[in-house]
Formats: sequence, C-alpha cells, structure tokens
Amino acid sequence: MYTLFSGLYAHMTQKEEYNVIILGLDNAGKTTLLEQVKQVYLGVRALPPEKITPTVGMNIGKVVVNRSRINLWDLGGQDALRTLWDKYYDECHGIVFVIDSMDHMRLEQCRETFEQIVMNDSAEGVPVLMLANKQDAEGAMRVEEIKEVFNRIALQLGARDSRVLPISALHGEGVQDAVEWLVLRMQRNKEDRPPVFRQA
Amino acid sequence: MLNRLWGEKEVRILILGLDGAGKTTILYRMQLGEVISTIPTIGFNMETVTYKNIKFQVWDLGGQTSIRPYWRCYYANTDAVIYVVDSCDRDRMSTSKEELMGMLEEEELRDSVLLVFANKQDMPGAMSEVEVTEALGLSALRNRTWTIYKTSAVKGQGLTEGLDWLVDIISQNKA
Repeated sequence: MYTLFSGLYAHMTQKEEYNVIILGLDNAGKTTLLEQVKQVYLGVRALPPEKITPTVGMNIGKVVVNRSRINLWDLGGQDALRTLWDKYYDECHGIVFVIDSMDHMRLEQCRETFEQIVMNDSAEGVPVLMLANKQDAEGAMRVEEIKEVFNRIALQLGARDSRVLPISALHGEGVQDAVEWLVLRMQRNKEDRPPVFRQA
Repeated sequence: MLNRLWGEKEVRILILGLDGAGKTTILYRMQLGEVISTIPTIGFNMETVTYKNIKFQVWDLGGQTSIRPYWRCYYANTDAVIYVVDSCDRDRMSTSKEELMGMLEEEELRDSVLLVFANKQDMPGAMSEVEVTEALGLSALRNRTWTIYKTSAVKGQGLTEGLDWLVDIISQNKA
C-alpha cells in the first residue's frame, strides 16, 4: 500500500523537463532574450544590455512554465562557433532561432543557417520558433517580410510546428507569448520527443 | 548603500589545470598586473584580488599528477572555476579533459560557473578556442554556464575580458 501511494505521490509531483536551444547569428540578441526570459519567469534583474558580451560557450537558464521545467541553452552565434551547435540537437525538445530584424544584409545568411538547422536529422520534428527580434528599433523588418524569406524553406519544415513571432528582447514585448507558444508545442510533441521526468 | 554591499562581496575562485598551463602566472598577473617568474606549485598559492569592487579569493592549486587528487579539498563554496589549458600542449589535451570533466561531476561544484583560459596564445601553433572547446568536450556540459577566452598570461592578453565576464555573471548570481 505504501509503495502504491508513494508511487502515486512521486508520479503527481514529478515534472516534465524540456530542453530548448537558442540559436541565431551573432548579435541577434540571443543572450538578451535569455536574460529577459529569466526576468519574466524568475524575477531576477536582467543583465543590462551593455554588460552582455558576445557569447563564446553557453549561458543557461532554468524556468518553470505551465508546470514544465524548461532548460534554456543559449549558444554562441559567431561563424566559427556554429559548428558546435549540432552537439545539442539530440537532446533538445525545441529550437528558438533569433533574427536581428535590423540586419537586412544578413537575412539571406540567416535563412541558410536556419535551413541547415532544420535539415539536421538529430533535430527532426522538433518545434521551431523564429523570433524577429529588435522590433523596438526604427527600421526593423516586419514579421511579414521575414516570413517571406523563410516560406521558401517551408518544404523542409515538413509537418513540424513552426512559427515566426515578433519580439523585443530588450524591452520584453512578445517574449512571454513566444515562450508559451514553444512550451505548448513541446508538450504536444512529447510522443515524438519525450521529456525527461524529474522529481519536483 | 549599494556600493557598500558590493564592496563587501567576496567571491571564491579556483584556478585549476594541468602543470605548466600557466595558473600561477595568471594569478600574479591578476594580482600584481605583472609577470613574475614562477616555479611549479607544490600545494597552493592563495591571493586576494580586488577587481571592479569585487574581492576575489583566488586559489591556485598545483597541477602535477600527484597533487590533483587534493583539488577536491578546496571545492566547497566555490563560485567559479578558472580552468587553464596550455593551448600548445596537444598531447595532453585529453588528460586535461579527463581532469576537467571529473572535477565538474563533483556535487560541490554543481553551481559554479566555468571560465576556460586557452592560454599560451603567444606561442606558435596554439589551438583556437573552438579547437580547445572540442578537445575538452565542453559542448557536453548541459547544466553550467561556461565560456572560453584565448589568453596569453605572459603578455597579459585576454585576462581582463575573462574577468569582466566573471564579474558580470557573479554580480548577477549574488544580487
């Protein structure tokens, strides 16, 4: 009887754990986004933007959203560092791809980089969320413009969940909606990519 | 008030790595801002370094094989580990990896951040930060904030960049 109840208790208190990788070209705003997510969900003061240096390595964040534990892995975006991304695909449940909406020049490079990510077998079927960042800045490309470029690779995306959403990582607009969209999709995708179960 | 609080902050840092990586040179570069000639450390050097209002208590532990088992005696309450590698010592990169990964499995270091110095960049044939990252298997770390900087302790390059990163992370974690 005890075993039954303790088993039941363990089952009820355990939490699903999902891993999210935050990718994108250098200077897209990945770390600023991570800091904003930590501010929204943990109440810790975000690192001021002027203190954020280009990431070489990994910054982590752990938040609880919608009863699930979310581990965020923010990786370096510089050209040479992108070769390291594929080490994380196996274990991720969701991918966030951050785009600098001010960087008209590199939009095409963004698309190529994104294409490589979605074509990777290890990340097959994983929900992907593209974030058109820096929407607070004057002259930022609108979501529609960015979508157009990515529509060209819609075929590669197949049946997986994908979406483009506008955000300002700096001011926080759209960040919560973005996180909630992704968490819900990862939860729905759990047959394909089961979460890790961990005792609360 | 805020300044007073900041002034009192003391942070515990370990400098680890194989023998000959440049740990002691880095410690005294940090403390004195100059290069001193060092001898292999048997035991440890401990210095207090104040940088950007944060007091770092820095422990530089000897890196020779026979001393490495004693590193664990110093793990408690460590905020950050600075791991130093000789970027030219390709032959011992796998040993360096084993020591690092073994160390990071320790429960007492669970919450400490990791700063890797790919040292001796002034020497010809030094590995890049991506090469060192791959050689040390840093991409396998899943629960730890980490970074890597190319440094030359003898020329003083890269050290302040690394320390600035540490200061920002630590002042946020301790806020």
